[in-house]
Amino acid sequence: MLVLAVRSLPVRRLPFHREVSAMLIAQVIVNWLLLGSLYAAVALGFSLVWGIMNIVNLAHGAFILVGAYTAYWAFTQLHIDPFLGLPLTMLLLFCLGWVVQYVAINRVIRAPFLVTFLLTFGLDLLIADVVQLLFTSDRRSINTAYSGFGLTLGTLHIPFDRLLAALIAVLLTAALSLFLQRTRTGNAILATGMDRDAARLMGIRIDRIYALTFGLGAALAGAAGAMLVELYPFDPSQGGVFTLRAFVIVVLGGLGTPWGALAGGLVFGLAETVVPLLPGIGPGYDDAIAFALMVLVLIFRPRGILGKAFYA
Amino acid sequence: MFGSWHKPSTSSTATAEPGAEQRPAQPKPGTRWPWSLLTGLIILALAALIPLSGDAATLHTWTLILMFAALAQSWNFLGGFTGYASFGNVFFFGVGAYSTGLLILAGRPFWLGVLTGAVVAGLLAFLLGLPVLRLRGHYFAIATLGIAEATRELVAIRNLGGSGGEVELPLPALSDTAFYFLFWLLALACFLLTAYLARSKPGYALIAIRESEETAEAMGIPTYWYKIGAFVLSAVPTALAGGLYAYWSTGFDPPTVFDVGISVEMVLLTVLGGAGTLLGPLISAVLFELLSFQFQISGSTFHNSLLGLTIAIVTIFIPQGLVGLVQEFFRPLAPGMSRRQLLVEGVRRVRRAIAANGV
Repeated sequence: MLVLAVRSLPVRRLPFHREVSAMLIAQVIVNWLLLGSLYAAVALGFSLVWGIMNIVNLAHGAFILVGAYTAYWAFTQLHIDPFLGLPLTMLLLFCLGWVVQYVAINRVIRAPFLVTFLLTFGLDLLIADVVQLLFTSDRRSINTAYSGFGLTLGTLHIPFDRLLAALIAVLLTAALSLFLQRTRTGNAILATGMDRDAARLMGIRIDRIYALTFGLGAALAGAAGAMLVELYPFDPSQGGVFTLRAFVIVVLGGLGTPWGALAGGLVFGLAETVVPLLPGIGPGYDDAIAFALMVLVLIFRPRGILGKAFYA
Repeated sequence: MFGSWHKPSTSSTATAEPGAEQRPAQPKPGTRWPWSLLTGLIILALAALIPLSGDAATLHTWTLILMFAALAQSWNFLGGFTGYASFGNVFFFGVGAYSTGLLILAGRPFWLGVLTGAVVAGLLAFLLGLPVLRLRGHYFAIATLGIAEATRELVAIRNLGGSGGEVELPLPALSDTAFYFLFWLLALACFLLTAYLARSKPGYALIAIRESEETAEAMGIPTYWYKIGAFVLSAVPTALAGGLYAYWSTGFDPPTVFDVGISVEMVLLTVLGGAGTLLGPLISAVLFELLSFQFQISGSTFHNSLLGLTIAIVTIFIPQGLVGLVQEFFRPLAPGMSRRQLLVEGVRRVRRAIAANGV
């Protein structure tokens, strides 16, 4: 995660108080927007699962990991570009999530929160261990033909792959929002999230809706993983960090809507971009920043920035 | 703690069972408490005989078993009795380890380091509890997880005790048997404290908070301060264990003593045994750690998979814990039932308890 922050900001080594120019500020803003949108993708599936099922899915990081390694495997073995292979990765992760929910989590959905919390943590350990077994704990990265290319306006540099990832993240947020609002299935998901028992009385198959929701959450996590492995080197120990981040982002943005994840991602990206630039702090305090931010938000605005009573 | 209270809000059977009113009266609170106490004391007394075997590997294994028994039991004070599930209790373990390590490096005796660690951890639990115990459920769990993770990062960056937070200690002056009995004493102290809590007013107050915080508050229990008290109570033995571990292991770094896996193991052991029960954490610490060591001895690297798989099986099939399952099996029935009927009824109840949390 250190890597993520450092590479996102090539200008960090400059002293903040000296070379502050309009161009530098523009570059910081661009970096912030790109990083923030990527974070939105990281948290989107987590937010959906939490909002609809009231499950804090600690296996989210493991799904991101599986997504990243699927993309890596497809790229090295089948020569499929990570961005073009995104639907494939998402489909695979959807199936994985669907099965996990149907076989395991549906059985304890009424238990106290500690049980689901612990269960998803166990699944996280299990999945991460299997990934490590298959791919070893070496760092992996993907170098496509276009990595390193980008738009350059004066000294302002916008890397092409990061721009594409940010656009896809926003697109996924919009697509999820539209799906939930405009389709029958999406409405069924929302109804289940609002009142499980009433939804059942309306003839909705709760177990399938839950499996579908969890599958969607896993697919979105897989998309985030595939984009992350394209942008940063990756190893199997990084899953947990992303779970913690997703939690903080969702708390920041609020549980209410998919757009909450985007808002939270942007706020989180802002903190991570700007705080290390402040004199006397420097890089390396990512987790401390994340945690401090979350506690502040929980104290002052427990519902988050765009928080609502239910997912809609 | 068999049957000394029943948990109507969290027990799966109570909510999912339409015929609950036909059930015979609950056992009187605490009728099985002396038996649980006795069983626990017998287990600990047997554990005290382990050093007689003279086998260094067995002693090592059982030292860690007792350490995890102490850790799980101290997690139980807050997570089991009070219902606030902390996923960052390893923070206090690390605080104990680093206090001890740094004081030994400064030339102080080791007992001073361990005691300082306990005091520091108690103070930190009090100060952190003030904001964090206002959070509930998921939020409390993640906040504690965040504290532990952020501290691990800070210790490594600040190079506490050595480069990257790595601490090298001189060889301990105590023998392995002495360490074993120190951990044994800690586990015994935690067990007696649990037994006290299960039968005393402060303990009832904590249970009341778990069942309904609002009701407890309305009954005149100062819930906030009781929660902070439970947090401190759960922090101090954890720090003592951390301090002992530091001196015993002669060297440690942030990833070992702030390992989130230790936090999760405390939770798992308590849930596996039965959260809020007297015997649960002790029994499951012995069972699970023996199983886990069996896997490690056979040279496999699947410790995390084993942990994950056990967690999945425990949470799906016995979320109320081993003690809860036994309790469900032996719940008193109407008089005049034959042994066979009792067995069938017991098995039926256990199966219903297992299936009760589904969609």
